[in-house]
Amino acid sequence: MIRNCKSLLFSICSGLLVLSGCSAVTTVDEFRPTNQAIQINDSEKVVILGRRDAGHYETDSEFIDCVANRINSADIRVVAEQEFIDSIYPWFEPRTAPKGLPRLKRLMQEKSVRVKVDEQSIRYLVWLDGSTETMGQGGSISCAVGPAGGGCFGFAQWDKLSTYDATIWDLVDLTEKGRLRVDSEGTSYLIGAVAPIPLLTPVKSDACSSLGNQLRKFFTVD
Amino acid sequence: MTGTKKIKFLLIIALSIILSSCSSVSNVSVNKSFPDVLFSPKELKVAIIFTDEFSQFVGKPNDKTTIDLGLSQVNLFKSAFKGLFTEVYFIENTDLASENTDLIISLSNSDVQVATPSENYLNVFEVWIKYNLVIQDPDGRTISNWFMPAYGKTPSAFLYSKENAISQAANVALRDAGAKLLLDFYRIPAINQWVKKRDQNDQKL
Repeated sequence: MIRNCKSLLFSICSGLLVLSGCSAVTTVDEFRPTNQAIQINDSEKVVILGRRDAGHYETDSEFIDCVANRINSADIRVVAEQEFIDSIYPWFEPRTAPKGLPRLKRLMQEKSVRVKVDEQSIRYLVWLDGSTETMGQGGSISCAVGPAGGGCFGFAQWDKLSTYDATIWDLVDLTEKGRLRVDSEGTSYLIGAVAPIPLLTPVKSDACSSLGNQLRKFFTVD
Repeated sequence: MTGTKKIKFLLIIALSIILSSCSSVSNVSVNKSFPDVLFSPKELKVAIIFTDEFSQFVGKPNDKTTIDLGLSQVNLFKSAFKGLFTEVYFIENTDLASENTDLIISLSNSDVQVATPSENYLNVFEVWIKYNLVIQDPDGRTISNWFMPAYGKTPSAFLYSKENAISQAANVALRDAGAKLLLDFYRIPAINQWVKKRDQNDQKL
């Protein structure tokens, strides 16, 4: 009886240890010019766009969709990224998208652009810029197959870091309403004990949920 | 056929299929529809020459890759030129240009390049397309010979097949070509001067 309890306790402890090792550490920093929440009414919409002008990385659309879904679930209507970019072609392509407010102000002076933005009732534009990268790797795992069967043996681990910046622009006032930055870091493991057992840390998913939740708090629906 | 022979036959077929799937020749096709452009056209009547070579162009950036760009680039430029000029028509050679045409523009592909993650040491596929635009007045005098580069890359190489990744990068490069044409055409010094001169002549009349 006591022996059974001990082995159960050991299993629970080792399970908890393994699971705690797979959690990501996420930090969210925010900057707002004022303490007031950003007002958005029922008819106004938000568009979330990814920065794609950097040479070595590109903010992936999967992450943008994830953040958009988070915000969408809070009664804030979000316009799909590609739908907006296509409707306003060629002004938000990687080469042509405004990188700062002065360029946005000049762009919004174009009558056709202003009309298209108003037609879609887009009030706020959220720029997301960042990526998820594998930082360090260690260990080794090898798999083999023979006439008697096969299996994987060894241990491998890798660290992932997600860093994303969000900048919120008001397309009516043509001002910046705030900035957010999320850093999420975690280590994933692959244990080869005949069958490969992956213990993956959802770094990107954590970054998405943290950023999405924080962005939701920025807005107040009238 | 005995049982052993049957097994050998099946093994040979299976091996052939496996080996043929290991060849890395990529024949890439690109998205053929592009969004309408949001641009204010100038009042000009322009003839655009799409030669058969341009309309059926297949880029060969290396021995193992071909990119079918012909129809995609024709559709893209048809849309983009309608954003630049109020009146545009498309012909196959200069002789077919109609009267009162202000400009004749002929396009050709100058170069296509591809970089894969194994070549650029980045987690992206990249595509460069270089176009040559010869812009002439109705009398056949060359106003400008403009080389226009366009660039596209995939968000990430992860989970993409090579064909799919190059196709996506080529699609971004084509959209970039349209954007560059729309934004930079009237900034070409020779074109800018030609338009100013034409406007002055119109005012005098």
